[in-house]
Amino acid sequence: MSDNLSKLQEEIKSSNGLHITSSWLNHTGVEEYFSEELVITVKASTPIAEICKVLAKNDQVLPFYVENQEQSIGAAYANGAQDLSDSVLGVQIIDGSGELLNFGGQVMKNVAGYDVARMLIGSKGQLAVVTQISFKVMPRHYVGELKPHIKTVERSALREVIESRLKAVFDPRGIFN
Amino acid sequence: MKVIDELLQKLPKDIVLVGEENTRPFECDGLSVYRQKPLAVVLPETVEQIKQVLKICKQHSTPVVTRGAGTGLAGGAMPLAQSIVLGLSKLNKIKFVDVEKQLAVLEPGVRNIAISEAVAEHGLYYAPDPSSQIACSIGGNVAENSGGVHCLKYGLTVHNVEAVKILTINGEELVLSRDDQGLGLLAVMNGSEGLLGVIVEITVKLTRTPKLARVVMAGFDSVRDCANSVAEIIKAGIIPAGLEMMDSFAIEAAEGFAKVGYPLDAQALLLCELDGSESEVQAELEVVLKVLSSASSIKVSNNEKERLDLWKGRKSAFPAVGRLSPDYYCMDGTIPRRHLADMLEKINTLSKKYKLRVANVFHAGDGNLHPLILYDANIPGELERTEEFGTEILRLSVDMGGSITGEHGVGVEKLDAMCHQFNDKELEIFHQIKAVFDPELLLNPGKAIPELHRCAELGAMHVHHGQLPHPELERF
Repeated sequence: MSDNLSKLQEEIKSSNGLHITSSWLNHTGVEEYFSEELVITVKASTPIAEICKVLAKNDQVLPFYVENQEQSIGAAYANGAQDLSDSVLGVQIIDGSGELLNFGGQVMKNVAGYDVARMLIGSKGQLAVVTQISFKVMPRHYVGELKPHIKTVERSALREVIESRLKAVFDPRGIFN
Repeated sequence: MKVIDELLQKLPKDIVLVGEENTRPFECDGLSVYRQKPLAVVLPETVEQIKQVLKICKQHSTPVVTRGAGTGLAGGAMPLAQSIVLGLSKLNKIKFVDVEKQLAVLEPGVRNIAISEAVAEHGLYYAPDPSSQIACSIGGNVAENSGGVHCLKYGLTVHNVEAVKILTINGEELVLSRDDQGLGLLAVMNGSEGLLGVIVEITVKLTRTPKLARVVMAGFDSVRDCANSVAEIIKAGIIPAGLEMMDSFAIEAAEGFAKVGYPLDAQALLLCELDGSESEVQAELEVVLKVLSSASSIKVSNNEKERLDLWKGRKSAFPAVGRLSPDYYCMDGTIPRRHLADMLEKINTLSKKYKLRVANVFHAGDGNLHPLILYDANIPGELERTEEFGTEILRLSVDMGGSITGEHGVGVEKLDAMCHQFNDKELEIFHQIKAVFDPELLLNPGKAIPELHRCAELGAMHVHHGQLPHPELERF
């Protein structure tokens, strides 16, 4: 575990209120990349353009629409603006109690436990600090034209209730705002 | 029992099954070593009746085990002693097909293969194809996030589901869709093993049927060469529609059963399916044949009959192994592909240690292993030895950076193995997620996620992503 993450855990444990951004997290770089496995694991503050550059060396791409290449991968994940759900394999997070947790992993097929790695897409930094994400990548020529996925459905009252309870699971002290 | 009386009173008599004889067919799912008779079985014909069942069960604090076709391999649909089984097989209508948008809206009891059959005339099919696809139902597929042989290119169930409608334990309807704003709740429902809600409607994505598909069969003198060729194919920029591997024992069993011309002298066999337009398949074929130049034998299907024949051996591998042994136990770990050869060697070593034969059948393309451990349940202690052997394989999978289950689910079978893959804090999050949806723990309680005290008793050494607490120690 890097010192950087231990420091973040301590900061979260002693904090009463935090607004998470990529620059606050300041956790960048490609952690692992196995081109023959079609898997890349990146730290959350890494700019998407940087990831694409690494993948391009093996003629591979992130197989989802990206609006802004300068954005960090963690921001794209947290905002859920792009339909990256199908490509996420795993996440490392720090929850509101400062615990470092892993869900999912680096393999294509994994049905052990609830799919928290995909659930936290769109969590907007309200549930946990996402520190690292693993993605399935694809050879460039298998990926057609990528279009933004427009999210249109209104949120039901029941969904609001479930989401607020889920926030309490991950952030029981309500420090992420 | 009051709960049974009320079910019989408020629902049509013929959909409520009570008594030893009537409930016996539901005492287990595809994992038949675990059996338990429920209080009663209800087979509703409408969503309103499901709501009624949930209402009654909630009032009496009676657990509900939802069941699809009962083909699951992890005991996810095995009844609990004081539970009601809610069987959804009668809800089997295809409600709507949108050919242009390539979507189908389904009741949960629709069989997997029935979707593809219904839309074949439009040049479409439903991609995920678990080997039980002639029997298993789409509701169960979503609950287990089922896979199949084509996942590498076409994804698992979660990649092919557009929306689900669930009933909460309170009987409230909740629609979860890809178009939702907010958290990824649709993904959570996939693979939730009946613990969060009752899935009553599913919208799936339909895939255009490829113009052509061809299979390359390659025999190898060495398991390691075969495993390495899997990585080489991917490295060459090819994503096969299917990429399957079998060891010599599995080849022998399959050929003895299906008689399709598998090379009996090979140590390992690779089946690589390529699909797309004629030119795409031709281009991929050239690359693949080049990569497979070290194979000891090569055969390429020249027509649809040959292609199906080559698959027939693989698809009948399980029943074929079943002919060789009174019982077999199917494992489901996944590992990063680069460890395939090491894993096979270790399984062979364990096979000698436990004195139990193993046939290896892999979805090699996505690192999903299905070692079949052969045993005889009538020999005292053999099942226990088999389970120990299986647990060792699952631990190895986790230690190599993989998972204890790729597509079969945890159910009751892999609760102990879960303690190895997740730490207490992570398991506690899972328990709390269940409580968000089902605070009284009435939906399939006790399955999928182990209680923390269970893990403590096991004293499992926790390992994460291959990072061992003491990496200097020899462990295999």
